[in-house]
Amino acid sequence: MKTFVAFFAGSAIFGVVTGVAYWLIAHEEATGTVLLGCMAAALAFTAAYAVIAEKNADLPGDDPQETPERAAGEALGIFTTHSAWPILVAISSLAMLVGMLWSPLIGFSGLAALLLCLWRLGAESARV
Amino acid sequence: MIEWLTTTNHKKIGTMYIVATLAFFIVAGALAGMIRLQLSHPNNTIVGTHEYNQIFTMHGTAMIFLVIAPFAIGLANFLIPLQIGAPDMAFPRLNATGLWLFVVGGLTVFAGFATYGGAAAAGWSNYAPLSEITIGTGAGEDLYLIGLTLTGISNILTAVNFIVTIVCYRAPGMTFWRMPIFTWEMVATSILILMAFPALTAVMAMVLIDRHMGGHFFDPASGGNPILYQHLFWFFGHPEVYIMILPYFGVVAEIIATFSRKPVFGYVGMVLSAFAIAGLSLGVWAHHMFTTGAVSNPFFSGISFLIAIPTGVKFVNWIGTMWKGSIEFSTAMLLCIGFLLNFLLGGITGVMIASPPLDYMAHDSYFIVQHFHYTLGGGSLFALFAALFFYFPKIFGVKLDERLGKWFAALFFLGFNVTFIPMGFAGLEGMARRVSTYPDVAHLALLNGLSSIGTAIIAISVILFFINVVISCLKREPVGDNPWGGYSLEWLTSSPPPEFNFHELPPIRSKLPAWDLMEERGISRV
Ligand code: HEM
Ligand SMILES: [Cu+2]
Repeated sequence: MKTFVAFFAGSAIFGVVTGVAYWLIAHEEATGTVLLGCMAAALAFTAAYAVIAEKNADLPGDDPQETPERAAGEALGIFTTHSAWPILVAISSLAMLVGMLWSPLIGFSGLAALLLCLWRLGAESARV
Repeated sequence: MIEWLTTTNHKKIGTMYIVATLAFFIVAGALAGMIRLQLSHPNNTIVGTHEYNQIFTMHGTAMIFLVIAPFAIGLANFLIPLQIGAPDMAFPRLNATGLWLFVVGGLTVFAGFATYGGAAAAGWSNYAPLSEITIGTGAGEDLYLIGLTLTGISNILTAVNFIVTIVCYRAPGMTFWRMPIFTWEMVATSILILMAFPALTAVMAMVLIDRHMGGHFFDPASGGNPILYQHLFWFFGHPEVYIMILPYFGVVAEIIATFSRKPVFGYVGMVLSAFAIAGLSLGVWAHHMFTTGAVSNPFFSGISFLIAIPTGVKFVNWIGTMWKGSIEFSTAMLLCIGFLLNFLLGGITGVMIASPPLDYMAHDSYFIVQHFHYTLGGGSLFALFAALFFYFPKIFGVKLDERLGKWFAALFFLGFNVTFIPMGFAGLEGMARRVSTYPDVAHLALLNGLSSIGTAIIAISVILFFINVVISCLKREPVGDNPWGGYSLEWLTSSPPPEFNFHELPPIRSKLPAWDLMEERGISRV
């Protein structure tokens, strides 16, 4: 976790530094400053999240001495093998976007299908 | 069939990415062949202007969005869990969603060819207001925007998945600083994707709004601002070129270390330089806009020059890894050496055009075409094929034929350089890019003729590659777990690996778990 935080916090600081440098050198132009600012904010948010919400995370991968035996028996969780919803999400997203331009009927059906698929996908994930 | 369409296993998803990107590569390569056929002679009229615009636009778009970048995503999908000792990705369903959004999006972009008015024709950079003209080009451009939006979302979902998997699912003892370089490069790549792709999705949506909902974001006649388009596009576009090279930097490091029988030289420098490159690449976007006169050239030129430093560090590390190693010249290794030579030229021409005075001369000429093909073709594409030779046994349980492979590597290297060296000179003699024909002046006929001959050689080499794949798969000679003597975790499981990767996790006490085990058992690495 420490390494993770260091990389995100470091990148955020880099974003702030470039953003300020950009503001000073190219101040007549706002787009770039806004983009760099958003970037720094997003990176800082991720680092802060890791520090605050995950500070007690105890990952077996972070301990150099950890052996497979010591971690054996720890539940990694169950991994799914199949789901039909992902491909349907993709197809209904396409239908929604194409329909938005050329056919409200297809567009709204696509939207409805997309919401249905996302809902089922979420329900399925909650189970396994 | 249903099995593959609904799978959420990272290895199957990775394999489908790889197969899909190779299929797109064949189409995009055929389009490149058509470009070179048209340009083989001055004043040629094999295809008309509008057709030509579609061909180069779709060639570039497909190579970037549907081949080079997603191949790396597919390879990472296959490799990351194996390299860190995880049973699968953190979010298997999200992973599958990413795959299908990519496939559907890619097919949508190509569907433009089937529409009245043809495919998108405004270049891969799709500049507005050019891309907003609705007369003449119609549905093809819209399908392009929709398709790229879908693939963009796919990339964002997958990047989140990679980061969570790497942070949370490393095997016991697999600390961050023991991860293989390829996995590290994918961390940097994923962060870049998360920073850059939202800008692309936003700008594509803005063009759609302008085209269909009466927006005027980029239409100067109504107070819109075309420079805004360029800012948003290149804020995505430049990081995208690093999204297309960082994973391949990782591939090259792994292959060189394996075939030099030495651990990666300067491991920490390798990791930090990846992040330095990623960071800097987010601050250079407007070097594509020097000639607009609307950006701060000193700022963007300065940061562009800085990127040469971490890239130089990488070169030192690759060469340091080979230094005094006992090098085995396998096909994968030869392709990596080709990568080093070509990418060096791409890097040097890059530093040249990072200087605004030189860029004013080179902008929109074939010099630029030469430059970016040396980085993306001579660099990424060479490493892509190296990765195929290297990981084919792990993915499919079959080794590709080495003798045919070396013929392929040699012809590919020859063809590549015969194609692209002349382009730089043609550019300096005034050959403009994105033109369907050119007059018979200076040496343009000779230089373009050479380029087209080189492309024919590339075509032969690529056909040879696919023949190799077919022959090797028919022969099906079995391979062991570790056919190349690799050092990282993926070589300690069967080829292809079982459903959840490891029947039993090996102990991880250093960066080189497979070599540790060999040493324990008294097996020599060489
Ligand atoms: C393999 C052999 C290849 C050949 C012979 C080839 C040839 C060409 C040619 C002649 C052009 C037209 C240049 C112009 O008029 O502006 C072009 C454009 C382009 N190529 Fe390639 N190319 C190849 C591979 C690649 C690869 C691997 C990539 C990887 C990303 C790539 C990306 C592009 C891009 C982005 C453009 C610009 C399209 C545009 O201007 O919108 N090409 N290529
Ligand atoms: Cu750039």
